[in-house]
Amino acid sequence: MKTRIKELRARYNLTQEDLAKKVGARRETILFIEKGRYNPSLKLAHDIAKALQTTIDDLFIFEDD
Amino acid sequence: MKDKIGIYLGIGIAIVVIVTLSLYAMNIGTIEVDEIVSLGIALILVFSAFYILWDRIKNVQRGLPAKDERVTMTGYKAGYYGFIAAIWSSVGGPLLSDIFFGHELEGNYVTAIVVLVSGLVFIASYLYLTQKGDTV
Repeated sequence: MKTRIKELRARYNLTQEDLAKKVGARRETILFIEKGRYNPSLKLAHDIAKALQTTIDDLFIFEDD
Repeated sequence: MKDKIGIYLGIGIAIVVIVTLSLYAMNIGTIEVDEIVSLGIALILVFSAFYILWDRIKNVQRGLPAKDERVTMTGYKAGYYGFIAAIWSSVGGPLLSDIFFGHELEGNYVTAIVVLVSGLVFIASYLYLTQKGDTV
């Protein structure tokens, strides 16, 4: 799974820590989601999408294996 | 507030464990190899617990939560591995002692092995999974 979190963070000039504070997660969690090493829960995915003013569909790119 | 209570409680328990281990080490007299190993593992567990607490304090000071869904899931997964290790060590400890040293372990030694091995597996899994990130 790929994400556009890094791209959207840059657009809104947010650091990983800023985003983590907005969604109530730890900075490392945002880092692992960005790197595709952690699949967030639906709630966290929703919170991140809301913080970045987008939708879950737009934020996460699922690849069929 | 809940995070802070958890952190203070953790620090308190870790200090009590260190004091207990220190008193035990001071009054033990001659220390044998198995006691050195047991104390060593117990100290590794306590210092690892301090590392986890320090990591949580660092996050709280920066205005971030002490733990989130990933850390909670990591705890559950490490707990599962610790549980499996406890089951295997309760069977494997006495069996290996019988095979390699030819004597049956007493109940208190088996309990010590189960506590130390499962604790070590829990801490090692927790620290590894925290660094790896993947909890799926």
